[in-house]
Amino acid sequence: MQEILAYAQGPIFRLCFIIMVLGFLQHIVFAVWGIIQMIYRARDRDNAYGKMILRVISWMFPIHRLHRNLPLTSYSSFIFHVGLIIVPLFLMDHINLWRSGIGFGWPALPKSIADIITLAALASGAILLVLRIFTRTTRQISGFMDYFLLILLLMIFTTGYIASRPYNPVPYATTMFFHSMAGNILMILAPFSKITHCILYPFIRVTSELAWKFPPEAGRDVEIQVHGEVKPI
Amino acid sequence: MASKVESLDQEKQAAPEKEPKKYPYYIESPLEDGRVKRFLEIFAAILRHSNYGPLIDIYSKATTKCARCAGTCQIYQASGDPEDVPCARSRILLDIYRRHFTLGGWLRGRMLGDPGLQDDTIDQMLDTFYDCTGCRRCSLECPMGVDHALIMRLARNILSEMGIVPKALLVSVREQLEGKSANTSAIPAPAMIDTCEFLEEELEELTGKTIKFPIDQEDREYVFFPAVSDYLLEPDTLMGNAAVLYAAGDQDNWTIGTKYFDGINYGLFYNDSILGRIIDKEISEVRRLKGKKILTGECGHASRSSKAFVNTFNTGEEIPVISIMEYTMNAIHDGKIKLDPDAITETVTYHDPCNMARSGWIVDQPREIINSFIKNFVEMTPHGAENYCCGGGGGTVSVDEVYDYRMKVTGKIKADQIIATGAELVIAPCANCKKQLKEIIEYYKIPAKVVGLHDLILRAIRFPENEKTD
Repeated sequence: MQEILAYAQGPIFRLCFIIMVLGFLQHIVFAVWGIIQMIYRARDRDNAYGKMILRVISWMFPIHRLHRNLPLTSYSSFIFHVGLIIVPLFLMDHINLWRSGIGFGWPALPKSIADIITLAALASGAILLVLRIFTRTTRQISGFMDYFLLILLLMIFTTGYIASRPYNPVPYATTMFFHSMAGNILMILAPFSKITHCILYPFIRVTSELAWKFPPEAGRDVEIQVHGEVKPI
Repeated sequence: MASKVESLDQEKQAAPEKEPKKYPYYIESPLEDGRVKRFLEIFAAILRHSNYGPLIDIYSKATTKCARCAGTCQIYQASGDPEDVPCARSRILLDIYRRHFTLGGWLRGRMLGDPGLQDDTIDQMLDTFYDCTGCRRCSLECPMGVDHALIMRLARNILSEMGIVPKALLVSVREQLEGKSANTSAIPAPAMIDTCEFLEEELEELTGKTIKFPIDQEDREYVFFPAVSDYLLEPDTLMGNAAVLYAAGDQDNWTIGTKYFDGINYGLFYNDSILGRIIDKEISEVRRLKGKKILTGECGHASRSSKAFVNTFNTGEEIPVISIMEYTMNAIHDGKIKLDPDAITETVTYHDPCNMARSGWIVDQPREIINSFIKNFVEMTPHGAENYCCGGGGGTVSVDEVYDYRMKVTGKIKADQIIATGAELVIAPCANCKKQLKEIIEYYKIPAKVVGLHDLILRAIRFPENEKTD
């Protein structure tokens, strides 16, 4: 088991990580290219970039907005995301993994705090799953991947938490193997699924706002391509 | 739309005969065969020429279906139909994009045997994308910053190029762009001039002042574009506008053009080409009259379409756009207008038109005006940029065939909001909102009256006794 675990945490991890990074890079290139294209095509280029960036940053810390609309979903989602960002980056074992991969590390969170954040993320993630299944609104709009990704994330948190306990009912290597492989699968899926929002987040709002600046000839050009002329109404 | 109304209608005993699903009120020579191919051709052309490509691409990759938009959508709250959740509605088009315009979607489609866009989906789209009023309230609460109104516009744009547009919108636009009268209400210029002369007489009777509606005057600061329906339906609003301009000393500084005098732009709701052609007419009229600025009347979408899109289509010197609400507030700030604080005794509330308020553009100005002379002012909850749509946005107010839907579904929350204020007067500075709110008030038997802001200003405006009458 130890050998398989080493394999999962070694070559497979590196391969999945590279796929994720390349996938994300490709998304960023397309998003930036899209934004440049939109600005270039529009005649009206009077855009309030400062305000756009402020809005992007303010939505990264939406604490004052959470209670206003679907509070249970919103608070759970916020706590879940805090866990998703902090645990992979600031847990001692993860930092060691980063250090072995990229050559340097950074200070870790105390284990007790990391445990609390993990449990909070697990609880909030579970609430999100329950809400997705039992609320009519979300159930109707959810597909297989919406459930699968959430369950995968919960599995990563659960196995990670169990593996880091001193008294572990399941052998450490087995738990860690599932933990690592679930993480690897997540990394592979990330660029091809809605997880992409973690990297595209800042570009979406900017793209939305720029999209209201239409290219002046677009409507006419579409009509000419489609109908051969600007057709009478 | 029809099914939602039916399910909500408790009084109906027997289900009515089902009308043919296709094109219940969508025009005139709709395509019957080859619709899927045509839809995809037009979609491809729009992606090629417009800015929707990068937009729909990033949306299709990263929307998370968190459903926070469901909590803000007044249509979903009233109908409970999952199709009305904004992200569910947008997903229809995003799925088509993924399946037909991305490599990953194509591969997945081939592997899973997904045949792609079907004829039924087009019927579903023409229904659902015209269910939305485009109020953009959902855009306020999307953590990602997705603006579903853009997807709604894109879908309507594609459908309109297939010939699928609600007839009410199409005939109005046809008259505006190709008809003799060049406006959506088909008012001939001489009739408009007659109306203005009549209003001048009324104003003289009311105020004792010679207040003019200057017609076709060149080199004026402001060229005025109200919703043209105001000439037929809202004389008090127009008289209020003229009275404010007179009192502020701009009697000889504004004009109405006879070649083009309509602020309405249904292109904003469904088609980029039409949006541009209408804006071009507005710009041409300003140039013809050698005017400097566009002054928009009390109308939400007319104001926004000018404010947001004149610079998009203008090739010449910049033409600033100013709303009559901004103008009046500035005049009050400068102490040019005297309003009698005892003139309005009723309890008054204010409805924010989405197209003016959602972006935060016209939110404070009307409140400053109101607070300067109205004592009993009650806010709706919520209000300002977060206000609920009247329920007739996105052009739906002009479609009489969806009256039931506008009353029972889209207008329901607005009715509750108005009732909760207990107001006797509801100010709605927008021609579309006025029509919808008047219908809501009648339908729900609310003891209130819908007015324009300048209607009340007209009642309260006072001119110094010693002022020279010119």
